[in-house]
Amino acid sequence: MKTVYVGMSGGVDSSVSAALLKDQGYHVVGVYMKNWSKNLPGMKCPWAEDLADAKRVAVKLGIDFKVFDFETDYKQKVVDYMLTEYQKGNTPNPDIMCNQEIKFKLFAETAFEQGADFIATGHYAKIKTTAGLAHLCKAADDNKDQTYFLYRVRPEILSRTIFPVGNMQKPDVKKLAEKYGLENAHKPESMGVCFVGEANMKDFLAEFINLKPGEIRELETNKKLGYHEGAILYTVGQRHGLGLGSGLPYYVAKKDIKQNIVYVSKNLNADKLWTNEIKLKDIYLRDTAKQVEVRLRHRAPLIPATFDGEKVVFEKPVKKIASGQSVVFYNQDICLGGGIVAED
Amino acid sequence: MHMIYLDHAAATPVSDKALQAMLPYFRESFFNPSAAYLSATKIRRDYEAAKDQIAHVIGAKCADLVITAGATESINLAFNILPPNADVLISSIEHAAVFENAKKYHYQEIAVDKTGKLDLADFQAKLTPKTQFVSIALASGELGTIEPIAEVAALVKAERLRRELANETTPIYFHCDASQGLGLLEVKVGRLGVDLLTINAAKVYGPKGVGALYVGHNVKLKPLTVGGGQELGLRSGTENVPGVIGFATAISEAEKHLNSERRRVESLRKTLKNSLSDIPGIIFLGNPKNQLVNFLPISLPGLDAERLIFALENQEIYLSTGAACSASKGIKSRTLTAIGLSDTEIAGSLRITLGKLNDEKNIIEAATAIKQTIISEQKRIKENCI
Repeated sequence: MKTVYVGMSGGVDSSVSAALLKDQGYHVVGVYMKNWSKNLPGMKCPWAEDLADAKRVAVKLGIDFKVFDFETDYKQKVVDYMLTEYQKGNTPNPDIMCNQEIKFKLFAETAFEQGADFIATGHYAKIKTTAGLAHLCKAADDNKDQTYFLYRVRPEILSRTIFPVGNMQKPDVKKLAEKYGLENAHKPESMGVCFVGEANMKDFLAEFINLKPGEIRELETNKKLGYHEGAILYTVGQRHGLGLGSGLPYYVAKKDIKQNIVYVSKNLNADKLWTNEIKLKDIYLRDTAKQVEVRLRHRAPLIPATFDGEKVVFEKPVKKIASGQSVVFYNQDICLGGGIVAED
Repeated sequence: MHMIYLDHAAATPVSDKALQAMLPYFRESFFNPSAAYLSATKIRRDYEAAKDQIAHVIGAKCADLVITAGATESINLAFNILPPNADVLISSIEHAAVFENAKKYHYQEIAVDKTGKLDLADFQAKLTPKTQFVSIALASGELGTIEPIAEVAALVKAERLRRELANETTPIYFHCDASQGLGLLEVKVGRLGVDLLTINAAKVYGPKGVGALYVGHNVKLKPLTVGGGQELGLRSGTENVPGVIGFATAISEAEKHLNSERRRVESLRKTLKNSLSDIPGIIFLGNPKNQLVNFLPISLPGLDAERLIFALENQEIYLSTGAACSASKGIKSRTLTAIGLSDTEIAGSLRITLGKLNDEKNIIEAATAIKQTIISEQKRIKENCI
């Protein structure tokens, strides 16, 4: 009997994944990765509840259950990375880093050390093996496809990974959860950074970074429009949260991190908001294709582009994405890898 | 399927009588007891009468009680008597509310034996001319072990008299947290010899969010909240009239049926214990001679108690691991560590506490389910090892 360690969050996708694997005859060990347990002011960390939910599912399925304590590594490799990037003025994607460093590295390595043949998670993605090489492929459910977050996962890990819900539609997963009698079938999905949530990012950063207030200026006129709580909190292209009163919305067009000034514009067509090319760094590509399709954010439509090894070039201008975000490459269903948007 | 509740030490349902007594005070009789008109004065009288009823049960008078929002507040108020850096003695198995307060001072823990019983010799050794505060629970919330409160009080009294004779001015107070035990033990402040006593409505079939602190005549407390001067200036804020009415009704009811309920629950525990005793490896915790009759703490070394709880929860049987608050935070129980249990014994420990929601029938049903669940979990672990 093959042993599979399933990362269980207490949510519906990983719970159903564990149930499916058990039905398929694997020796299933559920694992809760304890990555973060601190409560921050005004933010209750739900880890204990999540852990209890995951364990409840394990008990229901009659499978083994373990807790892997990755708190130190998570702080160093995900949170510290995130903080450093924000301080540089970038907008990092911690979920991508978490997959690269924690779920598909530390968790996988620990599981394999303990004798697992495979690891599994509740991610929506598929793995196809051709000529002995494992490829990451888009999920059957287009709406849920999570390959954008998984593009940096290495093939040697993928070849020993199972995504049990990757070829299913989310509504079917929910139905299965009910069939298996998993209480959390209706639990809300976690959004954004697993432990913070997008809404709380500012409060989270404020805990760790000394934020300095600064001026908001109009890009075209350099006129002072108001004040912000710290330029690092703003993302180019961002529309909300400027607190500049009514009228046409302002968009963040530029950040001057050194001077701590945020430049905004009412003109959606402002040059600063659009680009024909995006320069990448930290590129991880499994294929050297020049003609690709790219995704600029999770669930965004695919856009044709060419890649010269350094820059992604588009036929038509695209709305800029912030430095620190990822551009992910596809060839039809196969996710080829991608890179991180470099600073201007 | 119907619920079988085996966690009465965590919370009790409000009794019918208490609920009915409370209801008028939410709507018809809602007046502020401090208002001048006669309808409000009547509420004031009802409130004072209810306080008197509560006081009576513990052998005190209305004026000796400060109503609080529960045991935790009572404990905080009791500790508030202390000057900074005071010397404090607590047992090593106190509730977090006592422990966290003690940490603010210069405190020492008194050892307990492996049944959770206070080591009086260790207490005597640690009691010094500088000790200003002693806080010991009437009964452990995890083990149900009943502590020798009167003996501790006698030692505290002797030390107080010695100081008087020696013209030493350092005061000493004895606080007892009686949250667990009220309703199943006769709790009289005179007989216990305590200066301060914490009681709680939520454990005696009264509402949550109501408690009281008994304050002896020689004790000059300092308030934690100031304002309108309610509760003799010791706890300002408009009185929780329905809560106190509910508390009084519940505690009087409990006192009235104390002996019969004690016998009934003790017999249920015996049934349950006998039924569980042939489970391989089971350990019964606590002090069989001095244990609250509703407590049946057990340990199943090698098993994960939380798994058992989840498996039983699926059968609508509710019980606890160690103390409810410790378990949910993933913190190892201080009590179970203090009585010398190993990590595997702690991990496999369950607290079963009986009460009004139990009868012979559901206890037998629960016993069968608990046994089956434990045995199938033991079997599952064995199979996975091969």
